[in-house]
Amino acid sequence: MFVLNPQSGIPIYRQILDQVRRMVASGQLAPGAELPSVRDLAVKHAVNPMTVSKAYSLLEAEGLLERNRGRPMTVASQARNASPLNKRLQQIQPLVEHTVLAAKQLELSEAELVKAVRKNWENGND
Amino acid sequence: MRAVARLVHSYFAGTPLARALTLGGLALNVASLLVLAYLPQIEHSLAFAMLGQLTIFLGSCLMPWMVGRLARGHALQLVPRGRLKLLASIYLTMALVALPAGLLSPLVLASGVGARLPDILENPNAAAYFINLGFVTYTSLVLTSGWLYLIMWFLTTQRNLAGVAKALIVIALVMIVPAREIRELDATIEWNLVQLAIVWTVFGAGFMYWPRLRAKLARRPVRREKAAAASRDTWGREVQLMLGTSNPWQLVAAMAVPILLATRPGMRAPEIWLFMLTIFSTVMGSIAGQAATRSRALWLRRGVTRVELFAEVERAFWRHNGIVLAVLLVLMAGMGSYMHLPGELLAAGLPLLVLGSTLSTSLGLMVTRGLRWTEIVAASAVMLTLMIVALLVGTMRVTLPVIFAIETVLAAVVLVLRAVARRRWTHIDWIECRPARELVTRGT
Amino acid sequence: MIEATVQANHLSKAFGTKRVIDDLSFEVSPGDVIGVLGKNGAGKTTLLELMLGFTPPTDGGVQVFGHPSVALPGNVKVRVGFVPQQDELLDQLNVAEQLRVIASFYPHWDVDLIARLCSQWGVDPKARIKNLSVGERQKLSILLAFGHKPDLLVLDEPVASLDPLARRQFLEQLVEVSTDGDRAIIFSSHIVSDIERLANRIWILKDGRLNWQGDLDSLKEAIVRLHIRGDAAGIAGMAVPGALSLRREAGFATAVVRDWTRERQRALEDQNAVSVEVEALGLEEIFLELHR
Repeated sequence: MFVLNPQSGIPIYRQILDQVRRMVASGQLAPGAELPSVRDLAVKHAVNPMTVSKAYSLLEAEGLLERNRGRPMTVASQARNASPLNKRLQQIQPLVEHTVLAAKQLELSEAELVKAVRKNWENGND
Repeated sequence: MRAVARLVHSYFAGTPLARALTLGGLALNVASLLVLAYLPQIEHSLAFAMLGQLTIFLGSCLMPWMVGRLARGHALQLVPRGRLKLLASIYLTMALVALPAGLLSPLVLASGVGARLPDILENPNAAAYFINLGFVTYTSLVLTSGWLYLIMWFLTTQRNLAGVAKALIVIALVMIVPAREIRELDATIEWNLVQLAIVWTVFGAGFMYWPRLRAKLARRPVRREKAAAASRDTWGREVQLMLGTSNPWQLVAAMAVPILLATRPGMRAPEIWLFMLTIFSTVMGSIAGQAATRSRALWLRRGVTRVELFAEVERAFWRHNGIVLAVLLVLMAGMGSYMHLPGELLAAGLPLLVLGSTLSTSLGLMVTRGLRWTEIVAASAVMLTLMIVALLVGTMRVTLPVIFAIETVLAAVVLVLRAVARRRWTHIDWIECRPARELVTRGT
Repeated sequence: MIEATVQANHLSKAFGTKRVIDDLSFEVSPGDVIGVLGKNGAGKTTLLELMLGFTPPTDGGVQVFGHPSVALPGNVKVRVGFVPQQDELLDQLNVAEQLRVIASFYPHWDVDLIARLCSQWGVDPKARIKNLSVGERQKLSILLAFGHKPDLLVLDEPVASLDPLARRQFLEQLVEVSTDGDRAIIFSSHIVSDIERLANRIWILKDGRLNWQGDLDSLKEAIVRLHIRGDAAGIAGMAVPGALSLRREAGFATAVVRDWTRERQRALEDQNAVSVEVEALGLEEIFLELHR
C-alpha cells in the first residue's frame, strides 16, 4: 500500500503522512477503509513501529483517521473534506516549487509548463 | 544448578568424540571392575583400569577449553552468578573424573595382593584398610587431575610460541612437585584434603576475582591482536615469521628452566628424558601442524611451486629446531655428567631427543587436510612408541644394541613420514585446511 | 515514575591519558530503539561495554534498571541481552548444544521461539559450529541473546557480516521484538541504512562525545542542505552563519547547515539577494557532513 524510502531526507513518518493524505484526497482510500496495523506495516517495511504509530497519531489528530478499539485504524467518514483549502494547498506546495524549479532549469516558459499541467490534468480525469 | 549440570554434561559429552571417549572409558572401567572382582589373578588387570581412567580423563578435556572460552567471553558476565557456576562445574568435573579410578582402587590394591573381593569383605579390618587406601587414591587423583587440566588449559589457550613457552615453564614447575607425592605411598587422606582445600580456595579466589583485577589493570582498550607484522627483509625471514619459527630462544628458555630445576638431587633421570622428549616433541609437532594452514599466505607472495614451498618450510623448521635441539643436547649431556649418569644412558637417550623432534615435525607437516583419523592414529602410535623407548632407556632394561636397533627403525620411520608429507604438499588444497579463526579487528 | 532502562550521568572512560568516552549523559526509555553511529575507533564498543558493566567508568556512572552497571544483581542481568562484536561461540560444539549451554543459565528460555527462528533463519541445530559460515555464526550469536526475552537488548555491530537478505530478516525480527512489550534496543552499526529503518533515536559518537542524541526525525529536519543561486557577487560575498560546510562556484553555492529555520532562510535571501532551496538529507549524508 505504501512505498517507503528510509534513506530519503524525508522522515519516514512524514512519508506515511503524505501518502495517506494523498490517497484519501484522490479517493484511493475511501472513508471506512482499513489501514494496516502498526505492527504489520512496521514488520513489512522493516521500519520502527513507533514511527508508524507517530504518523497514525498525527493523522488521527488531523481528523483523517479514526481509532477503533481492538481493530485497525480506519479512514474517517468526513476525511475528504476535513482539511481546509489552505492546508491542502500547503501540502502540495513543495511539489509545485520543485516542478517550477525543474522547468526553469530546463528553460521552459511559464506558458509551456501550464500547458503540460493542463494536458496531464485532462488525461488523468478519464 | 541446572547450569552446572548442563556444563558438566557438555564437558563429558558435548561432542561425538568426547561422548565416545567417556562411554568407552566407562565401559573399560566396568570391564576392569568385573575382572578385578572375580578374576584378580589375571596379570594385566591394572592396565584396563588405567586405560579406562585415562580415557575418561581425555573424554572430559572439553572442560579446560570451554572454561577458558566462557570465562573470557561476555556471556557469562551477564548471567546471574555465571562465573561462580562455571567454577562449580570445574570442581564437579574434577570430583567426577577421578571417581571411577577411586572406586576401583581398593579392588586394584586387593588384586595386587592376590585377594578376592568377597574374601576381603568378610574381614572388616582389611575392608577398612582397603577403603581408606581407596579414599587416599581418589583424593590424590582429584589433585592430579587438577594439575593436568591446568596444563591442558594452557595448551589450548596459548596462541603463539611465547605463550606455549610460558605454559611449559608452568607445567615443569607443576609436575615436579605433585609427581613425588603420588609416587610415595605414604600420602595420607588428611594431607590430600588439606592440599585440595588450599588449591581449590586459591584457584577459586583467583578465578572469581580475575575480571576485576584485569579491569583495574587495563591501560588501553581490550587488546585486539594485530595482524602479523609484514615481512621486512628476506624471503627466508618472511617464511619464519609466518610459520612462527622466528625465535627459537623462547623455546630454549622454556626447556632450560625445567632441566635446571631437575638437577635437584633426588630427581631420577628417566622421568626427565621422558618429560623433555614428550613435551618438546609435542610442541614441535603442533607448530609444524600449523605450517600447512599458515603457508597459505606464503603461496601468494612469491612464485614458488608447492614443492619449493615445502622445501622452504622444512628449511625454516630446521633452522628453528636445530638451535633448540643443539642447546637441549648440550644441556642434557651436561646434566648427565653432573649427575654421573652412565655413558650408555646418554648414548641411548640423546639420539632419542633428535628422533623425537624429527618424528613430530614430520608428523606435523603431514597435516595438510586438517586433523583426521589417520593423522591422529599415526601421531598417537609414534608418541606411544617414543615414550616406551624412553622408559626403556631410562630404566636400562634393555641392552644398548637393542635400543640402537629400535632407534634406527625410528629413523627410517622419519624418512617415510617425511616422504608422505612431501607428497601431500605437492597436492595441498588450502580450502581443506582453513586456519583457525584468529581474532580479527573489525573496528570499534 | 517509570524507571529509565539506562541512565548515564557524566560518564567517562579514559585509558591512560586518552579519553575514549568523555562526559556523556543520556537516558534510554522502554520502547526506544537507539542506533549508535560513529567512525571506527570512535568508542562505540567501549560505550556499550561501559553500559553493561564489562568495564568500570573512570568518571561518572551509568545505571541499568536503576542499578549501577558495575554491580548488576542477578535479577537485572536476566533482563539484559548482549551480542558482542566478535562472536564467542564454542566451535567444537554443535548449534543445539551451544544453545542448551547458554539456556541453562536463564530461568526462562523460550525454546519454541528459538526453534522457530532457527528454521526461519536457516540455522541447522545439528551443524557443528566450526563448520558454519560467518553469517550463520552471527545469526547464532543473535539467537543466544534473544532466547531469554530480555527487556534491554544491546548489539554491537550485529549485522556487519550478514548478506542483504540475512540483514533484512534480522531487521524484521528486531522490529517484531520491539513491538511486543516495552523493550529497549541499542545497537551500534556503520550500516547507516539499517539504522535509518529501525532506530527512532540516534546517538552520533564523535571524539568520545555525543555529537547528536535525539530523534532520527528531528535530526533529518535539523540538518539540511541548501542550494543557493544568485549572481556571482552575491554568492562570493555571502556568509552562511553556522554552516557545517560551504562550497561556492560562480552563481551557485551549496551549504550544509544545522538547525535551519524559515527566519534564517529569509535573512540569508534578503541580505545577499540569493534564492535558497532546501534539500533534506539522508542519514548517511548527514553523518558524512558532521565528520568533515
